[in-house]
Amino acid sequence: MATNNDSVAMGAPVAAPQESFWARNRHYLLLAPGVVWMVLFLVVPLLMMVYVSFWTQTTFAISSDLTIKSWQTFFASETYFGALLRTLRIWLTVLFFTFLIGYPTALFIGQFVRNKTLQTVLLVACVIPFWTSFLIRVLAWRPMLGKEGAVNIVLQGLGIIDQPIEVLLFTELSVIIGMVQIYVVFMVGPIAFMLARIDHSLIEAARDLGASAWTIFRTIIFPLSLPGVVVGAIFVSVMVLGEFATASALSGRKVNLLGNIIVTQVGSLKWAFAAVVGVILTAVMAVVITALLRVVNLRKEL
Amino acid sequence: MMELIGLSKSFDSKPAIVDLSLRVEDDEYLTLLGPSGSGKSTLLRVLAGLERPEAGRIMLGDQDITARPTHLRGLGIVQQNYALFPHMTVEENVGFGLAHRAQDPVTDTAEVARRVAQTLELVGLLGLERRMVGQISGGQKQRVSLARTLITEPKVCLLDEPLGALDANLRERMTVELRKIRKALGVTFFHVTGNESEAIAMGDRMIVLDEGRAIQIAEPDTVFDAPATVRVARFLNAYNLLRGSVQGGTFESGEVRMPVPSGAQSLSCAAVRYDAVRVLRSGAEAEAGAPALHATFVASEFMGSKVVYFFRMADGGMFEVERHLSSSDPETYGEGEHVTLSWRMQDVLFFDANGDLIELAQAKGAA
Amino acid sequence: MYELKTLRIGLAIYTALFIGFLYGPFIVMGILSFQNGPDGGPQFPIIEWSTFWYQHVLGFAPPSRVAPLPIGEALTRSLTLAFATMVVSTVLGTLTAQAFRTKFKGSGVVFYLVVLGMMVPGVLLGLGMALVADQMGVDRNWWSTAFVLHVVYTYPFAFLVMLAIFNRFDKSIEEAAWALGVPPGKTFRKVTFPIIFPGVLSAMLFALTLSYDEFPRTLFTGGSDVTMPIAIYGTFAVEIHPNLFAFGVLTTLFSFALLTVYGILMGLTVRRARASGIQEDI
Repeated sequence: MATNNDSVAMGAPVAAPQESFWARNRHYLLLAPGVVWMVLFLVVPLLMMVYVSFWTQTTFAISSDLTIKSWQTFFASETYFGALLRTLRIWLTVLFFTFLIGYPTALFIGQFVRNKTLQTVLLVACVIPFWTSFLIRVLAWRPMLGKEGAVNIVLQGLGIIDQPIEVLLFTELSVIIGMVQIYVVFMVGPIAFMLARIDHSLIEAARDLGASAWTIFRTIIFPLSLPGVVVGAIFVSVMVLGEFATASALSGRKVNLLGNIIVTQVGSLKWAFAAVVGVILTAVMAVVITALLRVVNLRKEL
Repeated sequence: MMELIGLSKSFDSKPAIVDLSLRVEDDEYLTLLGPSGSGKSTLLRVLAGLERPEAGRIMLGDQDITARPTHLRGLGIVQQNYALFPHMTVEENVGFGLAHRAQDPVTDTAEVARRVAQTLELVGLLGLERRMVGQISGGQKQRVSLARTLITEPKVCLLDEPLGALDANLRERMTVELRKIRKALGVTFFHVTGNESEAIAMGDRMIVLDEGRAIQIAEPDTVFDAPATVRVARFLNAYNLLRGSVQGGTFESGEVRMPVPSGAQSLSCAAVRYDAVRVLRSGAEAEAGAPALHATFVASEFMGSKVVYFFRMADGGMFEVERHLSSSDPETYGEGEHVTLSWRMQDVLFFDANGDLIELAQAKGAA
Repeated sequence: MYELKTLRIGLAIYTALFIGFLYGPFIVMGILSFQNGPDGGPQFPIIEWSTFWYQHVLGFAPPSRVAPLPIGEALTRSLTLAFATMVVSTVLGTLTAQAFRTKFKGSGVVFYLVVLGMMVPGVLLGLGMALVADQMGVDRNWWSTAFVLHVVYTYPFAFLVMLAIFNRFDKSIEEAAWALGVPPGKTFRKVTFPIIFPGVLSAMLFALTLSYDEFPRTLFTGGSDVTMPIAIYGTFAVEIHPNLFAFGVLTTLFSFALLTVYGILMGLTVRRARASGIQEDI
């Protein structure tokens, strides 16, 4: 029994020879570029942000002496702490309305349209506005909501109101309207996807057993669509919590979210303070996403 | 010649192959019979280099190929689902390995074309060269898959249930053709199947695999006439198995009494081939001393060249009887009809307490 | 049955209204892009219909008090950046997804590390990167600091798309090629890649679109040479003019053109697969 690498004595059990280093570690090599990229350009910047939030900030400069002064400033200031509360309030409101407005549409597309082509056409119709730049879509709300905007013109034309509604633009309301319209599709998509996957025979069986439409919805359809709701909620939360452009475009800089504060502070080179706000935003985000991921295993749903 | 020495492989500490040793000779048709879950697909994947064994070696000639990547093994594999390249024509599929392999690729386009044509002729696919593989039938796909492998002149060609996805008609034709093609090329076929008649009909030798172990390696007629264990007898789907025990020198199973073969200490099971059983209508008497049992007719199935009759024994178990139409005309029985089933002692196989066959000679001597 | 039918009709009407809600601002934008110029503002009523703002965007309009959009440079930069991002993130996404085809230890950690890239708000990442660049004394440029963040953002999308593609890919086809003696690298090029190509195209399209429209990450890291979204953001501070709306309409048309090209490429791939030609070198 001559073999070319016969170092193992023949006897039971015979150990299987090892394959080459490259073959054994192939997938680590495949992963390396992506992982290195993410560590360098995602993890390091985020850690840097945490680090810098403890630096000493003076009006004109920043030094790496560690202090918690910036943190104290944040929680002591009505303006900044208020921005945190406002961000949370607007996030919850937008989340609620994207769900409330999006769910019926998702229900229609996912459950009532049985034709695959029509389903695709409707979903594509929802996505088409995304081919326009995000910022231009935000700006387009101005002529919609303004005192002489399209909404007021239409409502006045229909005789529903006499005087133009002025609270529509440059208020918190306009920010919420804009965000709901821009982000609602991220709620519709995942929900419709989950709804379309529901086995129809399940619903027919329930109907044969005499269940009412409401019972079927409550006990079958809604629970099965829940992963879609959670994925949608993650999308919407991630985007709304980090928002600043919609707020600055539609509120006339009256509504300041955490994102807006970061932008302003960076603009005036207050790095340490911007970092504090960044860390707080990250913490909020982490709590929200962890909570949502508890409800659904993202990896399994994809 | 390929030799497997003490191969073992498990998944999540569940053993799939256990200490398997085996020699595959040159120029032979070797079949491997294993029920689903016996580890036969795993074995094939280990041989092809698609799974790593935990222990053991695979020798091809005098070379250890255990750690070699699949593409350097020189083994061919024909997959059950054909796995054709969907974006290529028949011709491109067949020529692919020849032109792109790592070891001595054929770079001359004309030479590739010539050998593709030659191989397509061998498998009977001339005229389909330019078809996309999505546009041909299942049987044709099977042939493309075979041609694609054979053109690379593998030392051993592994076939994973090659007839599994074909309809009965095609299956029969391919059975003949596979043997013919193999003979023409002189290549070794290692054919894995879960179908006992396929394994018996096609192999020069056959292996019976059970729970990762090779429990019998022999020529098909030996396996068929003398299954090494009760489980082999069951896989063959040709034996009625009567479980029982020895009581005072007699093997008892239900109402059946048979003398114990000399030298046997304990018995657990007796087996009687389907086609060795006589069916006696009520009134007819079994031969004196021949074992017999009473049963009722349940159903019969006409299978072309033979008829299979199903009877229910007193204990509720089924008993099958087979009649080859070449030797007698089919009988008809009424449903629920009471009959006596009888057979000769020399047609009985006995298995000991471990389920191993007791040597045939001894059994005959006792009868 | 009756209540179900009512529900269906009700939901259909609702969905129509919903789509109207999505398209409303878009339509208004389209109308206002034909506002009279250069005096007409981005609001109703339309003083006089004209294509002035389109000419303005394209640089044909006579000079006026409204500064022209920096289309030439900013647009070129945005497209270059989007293209580079697309290539890099698709390659990374494909490599990572390829690694995920076999089980390995720590796959959960890697999965979430990659997905984190699309979850972290852009403004945070932009801030963090700006801090890192500042400390290391590296200049911030659209082709350096902004580019790496664009990839951080689009690579997870490409990865998820490719993961879905590979999930549907029949591995035995690759194994068949190996068994024929073809080495893994060549198998990937000649067998795997042509089959997954439509998926790769989708991943590329995804990355291109996201990067082209990317804005919060670029804001802090793009340096002084602005990309298109940053140029538009710059107009937030000052007065906006209907030229932005005209630009919006034009970019949408451009996007449609892109989508059409994508559709045609897809169609060609399918047709090539169906054709019985021998253009593949054997």
